[in-house]
Amino acid sequence: MAGKKDLLHVGIDLGTSRSAIAASNGSRHVVESYVGWPVDMVARKVVKKSILFGREALDSRPMLDLHRPLERGLIKEGSEKDEAAVRELIKHLISLAAPADGQKVNAVVGVPAEALRVSRQNLRTAVKGVADALMIVSEPFAVAYGMDALLHTMIIDIGAGTTDFCVMNGRYPTEDDQRTLTNAGDSVDDQLMMLVKARHPEARFSIHMIREWKEAHAYVGESPGPVQVTAPVGGKPTLLDITSEMRKACESLVAPLSETMLDLLSRVEPEFQEKVRRNVLLAGGGSQIRGLAGVLEKTLADVGGGSVRPIEDPVFAGAIGGLSIALDAPGEDWEQLAG
Amino acid sequence: MTEMQRLKKEMLRGAVRENVELLDDRVYLERRFRRAEKRWRWPVRVLSAAAAAVVIFLSVNAVSTGGGEKPEVLVVTPRTAFQAPLSGPHQAPRAIAPALFSLEVGKVVLDPGHGGADPGASAASGLAEKEVTLDVARRLRALLEDARYKVAMTREGDRGLVLRDRATFANAERGDLFVSIHVNSIPRKDARAVETYFLGAADGPQIEEVASLENRESGYALSDFRRLLEGVYAGVRQEESRRLAGEVQTSLFAGLHEANRELLDRGVKSAPLAVLIGTEMPGILVEVSCVSNEEEARLLARADYRQRIAASIFQGLRSYMDSREPAPRTAGRKKEKGS
Ligand SMILES: Nc1ncnc2c1ncn2[C@@H]1O[C@H](COP(=O)(O)OP(=O)(O)O)[C@@H](O)[C@H]1O
Ligand SMILES: [Mg+2]
Ligand SMILES: [Zn+2]
Repeated sequence: MAGKKDLLHVGIDLGTSRSAIAASNGSRHVVESYVGWPVDMVARKVVKKSILFGREALDSRPMLDLHRPLERGLIKEGSEKDEAAVRELIKHLISLAAPADGQKVNAVVGVPAEALRVSRQNLRTAVKGVADALMIVSEPFAVAYGMDALLHTMIIDIGAGTTDFCVMNGRYPTEDDQRTLTNAGDSVDDQLMMLVKARHPEARFSIHMIREWKEAHAYVGESPGPVQVTAPVGGKPTLLDITSEMRKACESLVAPLSETMLDLLSRVEPEFQEKVRRNVLLAGGGSQIRGLAGVLEKTLADVGGGSVRPIEDPVFAGAIGGLSIALDAPGEDWEQLAG
Repeated sequence: MTEMQRLKKEMLRGAVRENVELLDDRVYLERRFRRAEKRWRWPVRVLSAAAAAVVIFLSVNAVSTGGGEKPEVLVVTPRTAFQAPLSGPHQAPRAIAPALFSLEVGKVVLDPGHGGADPGASAASGLAEKEVTLDVARRLRALLEDARYKVAMTREGDRGLVLRDRATFANAERGDLFVSIHVNSIPRKDARAVETYFLGAADGPQIEEVASLENRESGYALSDFRRLLEGVYAGVRQEESRRLAGEVQTSLFAGLHEANRELLDRGVKSAPLAVLIGTEMPGILVEVSCVSNEEEARLLARADYRQRIAASIFQGLRSYMDSREPAPRTAGRKKEKGS
């Protein structure tokens, strides 16, 4: 059995839009979940690399066979190219964590709560040979573990492709404790796109601009002030007001999230329901939507009151939780998960 | 052991158990993996992809009855607005000679425009663009296959596809030519014309106007497009596209004019076509008819006229392809009388 020095433990949050790694050597990295291969010889000459990741891949998109392998949080079934992309992405993250020469890597990878069995198998297959041992856990579970929030807690992880719910009740969460919705960051982007287009038909903008606007101004409920953005109209940069569109788009999450939250709560044993209501945590990039926690809290008020809080470090919480799991798992367990 | 430590131990046990169960399906996994790995070993078929990956985008100019043709183009705003900083690979010197593309064309991807819920333009007679495009594509496929080219179609039946998916398909197929067939509509009901577009800045205000709506659906930022246009890679593509457009337009007009004496030759134009950004290849768009004209619509309803369109395009493609090949690949490849 290898000693601790010969081992690097890592926690990886494999996300639709961003993937992060936290390692036992202290390194932390985050990349956008894009993997691209140059389409041909010419492209390869221009980009001067055989594979590109993250922002760099996105920026060279015209020259790449570009994959966002975890669309909707799952490896697409049957797509060998996506499996390859996941493999390369994890390999890349691990290389960023810079294991020492000969150091073995034990990795915990967090995936969406409802990732189907077959999808986890795909992941395991894809990662084979990249890490020395691998444990796959649900992403909200990793977040909960890292925060010691293992009892009477609900995690709502609002990512790009999915929102994942998980109730922690002192036992390892089963399917009954978890839910996945596709109402998430990307669906807000789609809504906002539609609404802004309707209000400003003469303006020109892309889904990337929409996402940037959202990340700068997302809110629900009371407006924190007018939301104004710049987009070309007839070729001239023009100030557009999108205050109410922003609210409507973000509020499209409120009903499905509230419903699912209440539904999961109703399945908690009655004597613990109140405790769980007081411990709802919002994770993922979408947790930064202003006012969202408050609106969800109002929903809870109708069923006896509660507390909803965004977590502090939504970018690394999952990866850090995964790292805790990796470090806490005994060596014998890791041996079972090798290969 | 504290309560938290006990809980964590319990959770870890659950996570490990779940992963070990997953490992029990090893036989399944191994089989899958071997299949996937074989593919990965083949480096992205570099040679065939480099062979003048040319995109042809054929469009039939059809009648506008109301909604009419959706312009599949991206408008470029004046250079002063939203100038994206040129970075990294796009600043490489213009050193790549089009000669790099002097490999032979093997595979043609045909893309019949519209389909499914999106009929495209339709004639007063009820003839829908999506039917014409599919029919012409099928005829063109037969001609190409007879000449020993490989052909892939983005749609085989009446199925809707967004531009992006068409592009993704073409990339995945690693086609050397991409042929998308469309039926357009123009306001002047008396106009009967054919024209061919390739990827580039809008040639004139009408083209910008045509472009004004669809680009917002494309999902690409203006900056992506500008970088593409200004990149070295685009330079090569554009030159190839221009040549291809010339060959096809000449052949198309000559072939159709015989049967349609009032047809106008509107020539070759450059247009910022959104789908061509995604296809990451050189590209042209051929508008083979205007069904906004009653007489054109009547002709388009005839199988022999559609066959003539397919044959004329085929002749244009072949002139282009023959000009790139050192020697004809089959004995029967020399000129035969066009339609
Ligand atoms: N400040 C913000 N306000 C609202 N949404 C945000 C903000 N920052 C990021 N997001 C959104 O969060 C989503 C990404 O969250 P993340 O947890 O990284 O997703 P994933 O785990 O699916 O990769 C995206 O839709 C992104 O636009
Ligand atoms: Mg996530
Ligand atoms: Zn069309």
